[in-house]
Amino acid sequence: MAKTSTSAGHGAHGDGAHSEHAAHAHISRGTYYRVFAALMVLMALTVGAWWIEGIVALPRLLGVAIAMAIAIAKTTLIVLYFMHVKVSERATQLYAAAAFIGFAIMVIITMGDYFARGWPPPPGPLP
Amino acid sequence: MATTALPQRGYLHDDTPNLGEWIRSWLFTVDHKRIAILYLLAINFFFLLGGLAATFVRIELITPQGDLMSSDVYNRMFTLHGVIMIFFFLIPAIPAVLGNFLMPLMLGARDLAFPRLNLLSWYLYMFGGVFALSAAVLGGVDTGWTFYTPFSSTYSNSNVILTITGAFIMGFSSIATAVNFIATTHKMRAPGLTWFRLPLFVWAMYATSLVIVLATPVVGIALLLVAIERIWGVGIFDPALGGDPVLFQHLFWFYSHPAVYIMILPAFGVISELISTFSRKRIFGYEFIAFSSMAIAILGFLVWGHHMFVSSQSVYSSLVFSFITMLIAIPSAIKVFNWTATLYKGSISYRTPMLYALGFMGLFVIGGLTGIFLGVVAIDIHVTDTYFVVAHFHYVMVGGTIMAYLGGIHFWWPKMTGRMYNEIWGGISALIIFVGFNMTFFPQFVLGYLGMPRRYHVYPEEFQILHVLSSAGATVLAVGFVIPIIYLMLSLKTGRIAGDNPWEATGLEWRTSSPPPTHNFEAIPVVTTEAYAYPPEAAARDAAEWRPGSPL
Ligand code: HEM
Ligand SMILES: [Cu+2]
Repeated sequence: MAKTSTSAGHGAHGDGAHSEHAAHAHISRGTYYRVFAALMVLMALTVGAWWIEGIVALPRLLGVAIAMAIAIAKTTLIVLYFMHVKVSERATQLYAAAAFIGFAIMVIITMGDYFARGWPPPPGPLP
Repeated sequence: MATTALPQRGYLHDDTPNLGEWIRSWLFTVDHKRIAILYLLAINFFFLLGGLAATFVRIELITPQGDLMSSDVYNRMFTLHGVIMIFFFLIPAIPAVLGNFLMPLMLGARDLAFPRLNLLSWYLYMFGGVFALSAAVLGGVDTGWTFYTPFSSTYSNSNVILTITGAFIMGFSSIATAVNFIATTHKMRAPGLTWFRLPLFVWAMYATSLVIVLATPVVGIALLLVAIERIWGVGIFDPALGGDPVLFQHLFWFYSHPAVYIMILPAFGVISELISTFSRKRIFGYEFIAFSSMAIAILGFLVWGHHMFVSSQSVYSSLVFSFITMLIAIPSAIKVFNWTATLYKGSISYRTPMLYALGFMGLFVIGGLTGIFLGVVAIDIHVTDTYFVVAHFHYVMVGGTIMAYLGGIHFWWPKMTGRMYNEIWGGISALIIFVGFNMTFFPQFVLGYLGMPRRYHVYPEEFQILHVLSSAGATVLAVGFVIPIIYLMLSLKTGRIAGDNPWEATGLEWRTSSPPPTHNFEAIPVVTTEAYAYPPEAAARDAAEWRPGSPL
């Protein structure tokens, strides 16, 4: 079974015979470490943003927006590098994108319903 | 790839020395054809079980009083029927049986891309089935197949978690099959088999797989959240804890509307094959049929709120969902028009599979058009949760998916087993099913329109005549389903040897022997023509040569 190599350090270019695999680029070990470092920095940023929000009393909406932006950056890094989407075939990339589009549709339309409902004041716990 | 022909035997050929080996040769097989047979047996078993539950429901409804069972038992009965039929029959039926058997053959491949994953999917299916069945044995579930919160998450005292776990596991079985089909279609097409030479069944399976991969995880999570809420009371759906019960309906229908296309798209694929073969004509509008499958797959993700018009969903959402629901009927209609155009001036032969295909066209049109009624908010508010909805979805699911499943089983039976079934009994039972089906479900449109709510076992006396009609029809329908089981089994022993291509059909699956050898083809075929390459004059020639009693 031809494995997609996870480490360029071994130069595991296994099945040269299969043309499909020839297109399979690798992500070098150095890149993995750099992505890992970036994720750590982003994590620190998340915590830092939370601290600062507490100190300067940012509006809640802005706070959420910042946290979301950092989270999206993290997710993108993981999907592109750790999940190999960056070096995958076009069809795989398309499916990865489709999953996100599907997810976005679900969240956006569902939230759209919530925003459009015209909420009555909360009735409190049921008797 | 070496092109030397290996001496090969049919995939059914048994060379095991003893019973233990024989069992292993089936339960550990990675041959897509044998896995298809395993699925065939398992899925038909669940179909009979779901049918049994339906029988009890129909018997109870013969009288206006609740005399056979209590309302509580009745709830459990229709839930059992719904859960088994939807999750364990309709969703896997055509992909797992016909798709598994045919995809590699139609693509000119030796197997699916991931044979072991394919076997795993069968075990997941069985495992999920065991969970659902154990829930039934331990007392059943009373939520309906839709598991609506807050009843399912807070109030119900039945085996919700067991059933949900069963459906959850079975979802992974679907996903495994879908991933396999996608990879196989992309990577393992025979030389010369370009995308626009693919049989339309493959296009349909591809579109279905796309829907499965994108939608199934959502229902998995939604069901898991119900279980979590039941166990730990976290308050995702409970308003007293800040949750929202309607959120469940959003998540559930985000999957379950696409799931109705998981059920019907494969059926469209089967019908395209049947109509073309038995008209001896190229399919009319190949690209339109192929792309309408993809359009349905995509648009299907945007209409789920039409199940929620009375759920306290915002009226603006309902408006938008209603509008997009109208749009999605267009690709379905495109298919029906193209099939009709294919029939035009074709050399039509009324063999059993074609009877099912023609039945499908009529019944699906009724089911689809009543879907449009329901997509109009003003009408839906009147008839939602009545028998009108019940009739609608049985027309599309029984009249659509089951008709196509049976038509496909008959059509490919000679390929799967090497033998012909009995054509006379085939025709008779197809007609019995058609009559029985309409007798069962047409009265339900009337019942629903007059106000009979669904999921009640006690009803006003004036509805009795229609209910009795429906139950009588169900009896006819049951007879129609039992006859094929008998003659198909008999054909295994006594059926005429079919030969490689009994229907003179195009398509790679007919170019190998019946039953196909384990690795499908002696040598990988090379494709040089488009799909359905019937010679243009085939229909005219058939018509000129036709004599009373000619077989085709
Ligand atoms: C042709 C386009 C279709 C349209 C416009 C349509 C529309 C609808 C609408 C609006 C409802 C909601 C009714 C209500 O609960 O008040 C509904 C219910 C339903 N439809 Fe369809 N439908 C279509 C095709 C299909 C197909 C192809 C299937 C399955 C193969 C299907 C299966 C169902 C099921 C199972 C329900 C009921 C779910 C439940 O509440 O238990 N429909 N349909
Ligand atoms: Cu729907």
